[in-house]
Amino acid sequence: MAVKKIAPGPRVHLAVLEEVLNLCRANSLWPMTFGLACCAIEMMATGASRFDLDRFGAAVFRPSPRQSDLMIVAGTISKKMAPTIVTLWEQMPAPKWCMAMGNCAISGGPFEFEGQYAIVPGADLLVPVDVYVPGCPPRPEGLIQGFLSLEDKITKGEKRNVIRRFKKRAGRNR
Amino acid sequence: MSLEDLKKELEEIVEPSSVHTRDYDRNGCLLEIRAERSRLLSIAQAARDAGFFLEFITAVDFTEGPIAVYQFNECNAVSRIQVKVQLARGESLPSIGRVYDAALWYEREVFDLFGIRFDNHPDLRRLLLPEDADFHPLLKEYGKVHAFRSAREIYVDQDA
Amino acid sequence: MSTRTPETVTEHTFYLNLGPQHPSTHGVLRLFVKLDGEYVMEVDPIIGYGHRGHEKMAESHFYEQFLPNTPRMDYLSGMLFNHAYVAAVEKMTGIKPPPRAEYIRVVCAELNRVASHLMWLGAYLMDLGGVTPFFYAFDDRENILDILDRVSGSRLTYNYCRFGGVARDVDDTFIGATRDFIKRLRGRWKDYNNLVTKNVIFIHRTRDVGVIDKDIALRFGCTGPVLRAAGVPYDVRRVEPYSVYSELDFEIPTGVNGDALDRYMIRLREMEQSLRIIEQALDRLPGGPIRTPTPNKVRPPKGDYYFAAESARGALGYYIVSDGSEYPYRLKVRVPSYGNLQTLTEVLPGTLVADTICILGSIDIVVPEIDR
Repeated sequence: MAVKKIAPGPRVHLAVLEEVLNLCRANSLWPMTFGLACCAIEMMATGASRFDLDRFGAAVFRPSPRQSDLMIVAGTISKKMAPTIVTLWEQMPAPKWCMAMGNCAISGGPFEFEGQYAIVPGADLLVPVDVYVPGCPPRPEGLIQGFLSLEDKITKGEKRNVIRRFKKRAGRNR
Repeated sequence: MSLEDLKKELEEIVEPSSVHTRDYDRNGCLLEIRAERSRLLSIAQAARDAGFFLEFITAVDFTEGPIAVYQFNECNAVSRIQVKVQLARGESLPSIGRVYDAALWYEREVFDLFGIRFDNHPDLRRLLLPEDADFHPLLKEYGKVHAFRSAREIYVDQDA
Repeated sequence: MSTRTPETVTEHTFYLNLGPQHPSTHGVLRLFVKLDGEYVMEVDPIIGYGHRGHEKMAESHFYEQFLPNTPRMDYLSGMLFNHAYVAAVEKMTGIKPPPRAEYIRVVCAELNRVASHLMWLGAYLMDLGGVTPFFYAFDDRENILDILDRVSGSRLTYNYCRFGGVARDVDDTFIGATRDFIKRLRGRWKDYNNLVTKNVIFIHRTRDVGVIDKDIALRFGCTGPVLRAAGVPYDVRRVEPYSVYSELDFEIPTGVNGDALDRYMIRLREMEQSLRIIEQALDRLPGGPIRTPTPNKVRPPKGDYYFAAESARGALGYYIVSDGSEYPYRLKVRVPSYGNLQTLTEVLPGTLVADTICILGSIDIVVPEIDR
């Protein structure tokens, strides 16, 4: 008997319900406390009294990746830390999103120089990043704009980026 | 014990000509000792008995080999002492971990970044780099540096 | 990974990883603890997860190009690290900044110290479970950040000092805002005392917990509030005054027991002393230029130099070896958290896991400065 191939993808399309679910997911993002360096302090300041992140539904910082749906990579990624980031990303249940906060998480930031031996220049070399928030460190208003952009992305239902692992790119020599 | 007493003790451990008085405004320390690696433990023990604490241990890479720098300080007054040991490439140093617990991590860091081994260190493994790294980054031959010089070019107006 | 094997293995002995991702490790610290039930038997702090190669970077960058690195090592005392580096190179080269710049630097440095202690307070209490002081502390801290942002352009990683002075002059708004802030914070001590210092749960959790006495502190090279809690009044601003600290009048708070409660009380009192220093410095602020002209690329003379300063966590030092060119030959940063963290290997065994977090928080470490 021939083996039937099961096509991937959702079997049931929930048109309006999907939009409602996306709205719910966007307005109650649960970030994971993942501060690596200086940007962590600005992330804490964004969740604190003046730039309250709770009004966007997003100040419930979960320490455990299994309970969160947003990973904010805040700070420089060292090569020693890189396997941990991938492990944490894989431990998060779908749907999940990633935000690269700060110049170090976007492209290595001020620490990317010829002869750098210790850092991974960018979080998008390890995990698929949805929103990039530039700054060194980004102001809390900048991080809030990142959150709002992510919420737009979620509610419009855009397809998320495919992981690009260690591809050589023109202009960057590894 | 004051700095003067410690200086007398140190002059008994190493030759008096290796104990140099330095100008605080020019170098930031008061005494500098150029020691042999065999005298290192005695110097550390004398500093510990005098109530000094270990400020740091580091190394500087030169063409003839690295110089290990130890710095001791006291809490009561400005009494900073620097001990410098010139090593050949591949030479190891005795560990002063028995005398100062702080030295355990400093020596691990020097081993990690320079490749200098410390004898009798209870747990000599890498501190900052990943465990499986196979290079020592702060050596001048690794990566990109501006200059790789001899120690004599730098310590010109300091005797010995 | 450690290659040691446990000496006594019972059915309650197991190994636990605290970190490197953990809400209370103040950065990326990994504590590899060997537990016997709830009691810690051995601890091995594993660091290096934030190693960015600052010292190697210094060897291929000019002295001016290294300036942005300095506040990123200890991001909570960015101004203090920046000030110390600039003062170190100035002393080597013989550059004398004008008095107005020195006083401005001291005001900004002490504001940064207060901000760092406030941040520590908020984070420490949050680790212990009390979330309210976090919001109080950050509210006060935001005022300081506004003041420093106005004059330096950055909220966290200040790059305000330049060789020869400071980058921008301060105006009356800065002075007025600082004086208002001092008055406001002094009015808040009552709130902090009612909320935290007199809190029975806090006192029970911190009294006689994590005792670091004078012997342990000196063996591990601890400085800062950890050493002062043990009873040793060692403060670099008093023993080796730099900048204009010799002209300012302030006390050095010390403790008696060396426990976590002492360290907390010392940091509270240090904040008040910093406010005193800021007031005196603002009263004496002279007029004049804010920067002596320096060459485009400074070239310190050949030789080595060690400069010590007091950061919020303890004695900070820059060891610079110069070969006469505009690039440093070797730049080593002696950071206070290095020795302070090592005491954990001696203090933690025998405590409960909950006390581990309390002790770790009370020592006040910032891991990227250890990793550099």
